Amino acid sequence: MTRPPLALVLPGLLAALTSIAPLAYLFDIASDRGLDFVWDEIWQQRTIELVARSLFLAASVSIVSVFISVPAAWLVTRGDIPFRSGWRVLLALPLAIPSYLAAFAWISWRPSLAGFTGAFVVLTLVTYPYVFLPVCAALSRLNPAIEEIAVIHGRGRSLQLILLAARQVRGSIATGALLVALYVLSDFGAVATMRYDAFTWVIYSSYRSGFNPSRAAILAIVLVLIALALLFGEKILRGQNESLLSARSVDANPRHRVSIKPVAIAFLSTIIVFALAFPIWRVVTWVYRYGSEDSMADIATALWHSVFFSGLAALATIQLALPIGILAGRYPSRSTTLLEQSTYVTHALPGIVIAISMVFLGVRLLEPIYLRTPLLVIAYVALFLPVAVGSIRSAAEQIPDSLDEVSRSLGLSQWGIVRRVTLPLLAPGLLSAGALVVLAGMKELPATMLLRPTGSETLATRLWTYTSVSDYAGAGPYALAIIVFVSIPTAIASRRL
Amino acid sequence: MPLTRSLKTKARRKAALAMASLTTLALLSLAACGGSETSENTQPASTTATSDANDPCETASGSLTVYSGRSEKLVADLFSQFSTDTDIDVEVRYGDSGELAGQILTEGNATPADVFFSQDAGALGAVSEAGLFIELEDSILNRVAAMYRSESNNWVGTSGRARVVLFNPTLVATPPTSIDELLDPQWKGKIGFAPTNASWQSFVTALRVLRGEDDARTWLEAFDANKPVAYEKNGAVRDAVNAGEVALGLVNHYYLYEKIAAEGAENVVAQNQYLPGDIGGLVNVAGIGALENSDNPEGSQCLASYLVSDSAQGFFVEKSFEYPLVDGLAPFDGLPTLEELDPPSIDLSDLQSIAETQELLNDVGLLSL
Amino acid sequence: MTNTSILSVESVCKEFRRQQVLTDISFEVPERAITAILGPSGEGKTTLLRLIAGFDRPTSGTLALRGKVVSSIDVHLPPEQRGVGIVPQDGALFPHLTVEENIAFGLPRNQYARVDEMLTLIGMTSQRNSRPAQLSGGQQQRVSLARALAPSPELILLDEPFSALDANMRASMRDEVTAIIRKTESTAIIVTHDQEEAMSISDRVVVLLSGTVAQFGSPQEIYENPRSSHVARFIGDANLLSAIVDKGRAFHAIGSSPCSSSAQRVIALVRPEHIRLAHDPQHGHAGVVESRSYFGHDGTLEIRLATGEIVTARLPISELADIGSTVFVASIETATILEN
Repeated sequence: MTRPPLALVLPGLLAALTSIAPLAYLFDIASDRGLDFVWDEIWQQRTIELVARSLFLAASVSIVSVFISVPAAWLVTRGDIPFRSGWRVLLALPLAIPSYLAAFAWISWRPSLAGFTGAFVVLTLVTYPYVFLPVCAALSRLNPAIEEIAVIHGRGRSLQLILLAARQVRGSIATGALLVALYVLSDFGAVATMRYDAFTWVIYSSYRSGFNPSRAAILAIVLVLIALALLFGEKILRGQNESLLSARSVDANPRHRVSIKPVAIAFLSTIIVFALAFPIWRVVTWVYRYGSEDSMADIATALWHSVFFSGLAALATIQLALPIGILAGRYPSRSTTLLEQSTYVTHALPGIVIAISMVFLGVRLLEPIYLRTPLLVIAYVALFLPVAVGSIRSAAEQIPDSLDEVSRSLGLSQWGIVRRVTLPLLAPGLLSAGALVVLAGMKELPATMLLRPTGSETLATRLWTYTSVSDYAGAGPYALAIIVFVSIPTAIASRRL
Repeated sequence: MPLTRSLKTKARRKAALAMASLTTLALLSLAACGGSETSENTQPASTTATSDANDPCETASGSLTVYSGRSEKLVADLFSQFSTDTDIDVEVRYGDSGELAGQILTEGNATPADVFFSQDAGALGAVSEAGLFIELEDSILNRVAAMYRSESNNWVGTSGRARVVLFNPTLVATPPTSIDELLDPQWKGKIGFAPTNASWQSFVTALRVLRGEDDARTWLEAFDANKPVAYEKNGAVRDAVNAGEVALGLVNHYYLYEKIAAEGAENVVAQNQYLPGDIGGLVNVAGIGALENSDNPEGSQCLASYLVSDSAQGFFVEKSFEYPLVDGLAPFDGLPTLEELDPPSIDLSDLQSIAETQELLNDVGLLSL
Repeated sequence: MTNTSILSVESVCKEFRRQQVLTDISFEVPERAITAILGPSGEGKTTLLRLIAGFDRPTSGTLALRGKVVSSIDVHLPPEQRGVGIVPQDGALFPHLTVEENIAFGLPRNQYARVDEMLTLIGMTSQRNSRPAQLSGGQQQRVSLARALAPSPELILLDEPFSALDANMRASMRDEVTAIIRKTESTAIIVTHDQEEAMSISDRVVVLLSGTVAQFGSPQEIYENPRSSHVARFIGDANLLSAIVDKGRAFHAIGSSPCSSSAQRVIALVRPEHIRLAHDPQHGHAGVVESRSYFGHDGTLEIRLATGEIVTARLPISELADIGSTVFVASIETATILEN
């Protein structure tokens, strides 16, 4: 087994440390009141109910996301529908819509959606791209021979081909479903707006009006445990079926005749209408009806802050995600997998928990940068590292081992390989990872609220200020700006992923 | 000595100027309301400056970091006017009062905040309990009735709001006038409330304090049995009442006036029912406290005194329809006075025991649906 | 061995997860020769190649390049310092580099002349700026070979280099690659499971069966004097007949051979092309034709002998008897006697 270069291991460890740092805070706070208190909190019937409700929501959203995403991904990568790449970008764009905004758009239109239905609908519509994008990527690498054989054997109907393809990209589906589940568990905006009694809402309340950080910390630890269980489950689902993907890149994706094209187009259009057109229509209506309360200069300043913070976050996150992504993708072993998965542990934590723990650590350990840009960037790194690591790892995995071996035989050191082979081949993957961080950073709320430099408002904090008092007039322009400007990195990410 | 005197004179002039310009600001905001009927009968806010010998602004300078749980939209103008008037730079961190209190508690003594301007007394109480506030000067405290400030002299109320029952007259002929009437089965499934809202939780805290834990639990269980409808925010409760989605809503008095100001009186059907003499008519306050570890204590005291000046009080009345807490100032047009409301007498500092309230709400199952 | 040895492999063993993959491997690779490592799939060929390249370390034993130990219990020269070029099965060209850049990859900067030389050698001067994705499989393999040869390595390793190509291309690529290796006077090890490929292009063959060296020698030696029935069966077609030793001779179903073995029972190897059909029982052993195959230039018969053993005979077309007819089988060469 080739030993990974130290130049990767050390920054990799550092990155993993950053992302699990919030745990230190959680354990400190949770243990404040003693172990008995912890057990009492966890074994309450209410806590168990919360677990059940949150898992039910996460499972429903994940499953439906898979059922939406797999056929859609197949149609845009393998089917012969017109404007394939256009559909693909459009279908990825709902990523640009923050869950709190989507929820607000829906409930302000139909208050009766409140509860499970609303939370489920909104979360499905904003998270399905987490399945759609990786499945698209896997499908375009899929060995066409298998589908051709199916067609020859008379099993060429679209539905049959989709099922066949789905079996082959099981790994990507599992990864996407995991991301969706983790997102749902940690989401606050949608469940709060839709008034669905989930974990995060209780955690938020414990912080915001209860001044009861212990309970919040304990519940957060339960979330971490659930995330660990999900990670384990994903590993099993993922299996070892990557071999079905062809090693050589497929020159052009084969196009299969879609048996019922109007149905297919209607299916894709429906997704876009609900996930994208509807919230945009609502926001445009607000802007059209109420105009703007703030000057263009205010909006531009907020936009600049959003871009600046999330841009810096993207650079820093990539720097830190790169070593882990390469280690996990190129040097798979028990320890590198552990390193990678440690970044996912905190992914299920609601933003507020990460934010508060960064306040805790920042004030104690990083006082000089507290409430300054660097600490906000570190918080973003902790929040978005797994997204970037995942995208870089899957790009790194696609590089065949033989390239490394050839390079070594031609005299390159391990580090030389990283520099001359791995990095150039990862470049497109890095771009999409960066875009993913930018889009997530621009939407992020709780960490931005707590850690932004005093006085530096972003689009998200402005939007929150206005929506928290149901001020559509004030909120409109910021909501529109978020959707428009987050769409750019989303489009970039979707082309590559 | 002559130098000190000239500085003092300068500072006094500054303070006077401050009050004058604040009045202008309040009037401007009136004008901005744009000829709505509400502005016509309004008494201009008094221009009498505080005549205390001990003006905290005399020696104040430098800069302040304020954590503000009150929204930027509401108070940004006030802060910038303060800076212009006093030459004290203000950096404001806006956020949710609870979140900011949580942030201060987590930061502890290392908090960069000099001042905490909170939307409600509970958050102030929590910070006060953690021992992070310093006492305010008497000249500030004495402006406000004892009922609306901290007993430990740690914080002072800056404006008040009354809990009301908002009702939709098309659905309700005679709205309840006490919280016990809310338990009547006729309201089953018809009451909207915001379980995570700080004002609601302050009310429940008051219930606990005034009636005792057992009776409070009994009331809450009965309330829960009446299947109230939970919303995330008071604004959502108000909109639901106005839309007829629920018949009654437990909110603060000014939500109605916000909607009227935004959409015009003709477009709002909901009405406030005040609950004089009832726990349900609790008057809670927004307030300010100065943090102990501040490196500009004079500046903090100066800001606190600024917010209880007549003109700042007038500003709150006009801009957010809240109750002024300084003696002799009238509330927003048409509102009953604080005396008429006869709110339950309670030490607002006790509203800090919100953790216990949440545990109780949690037990009863009301904290989240 | 006429030439000096480039690589010597001595008593090399390799275990993976307690499973013995290679056992006591020893052989020498002579300079400027092509050595084939031949064996069925999954019996350790690629593992051995990886040990030679330095990607893995042997569990025990020694590897030496030009007399210098590169792998042993306490020595491990990393692959980048061995000067061993490799040509992987799929070519493994760098997809982000052009043909030219691929070839220059292992060279110090600015060695344009060498790159040109290699491009000419593989006849791809006109595609120097192409990307690997634009090349055919055979072209990719040629670039891969040029890339490996460019830094003039001591030794190049080719891992099943033709297996990814289709059949008609394989033969011409095989000739072309051999020619390039000979022309550059390189020393090469080629791993293959195809015995015909091994025999036709190599000077030396290492037969690797079940993780051990079953035999090491020139293709002719191995064909004519296989050291065991396993080797015999693997190299070319073989009739293996049981034989009984009596007074220095081994008697089998279609004749006898001199035998010095002390064992009582041995195996006699008779190649199908050494079998002829006689016209009468005096000159042959009776058998019944069970099947026949026609190849154009010749054909084969499978004949069941009186002992119940079946022999394959390679015969001119005119001698192919009908199925079911009785024939008389004789061997025109003395059978090779194998101990096992």
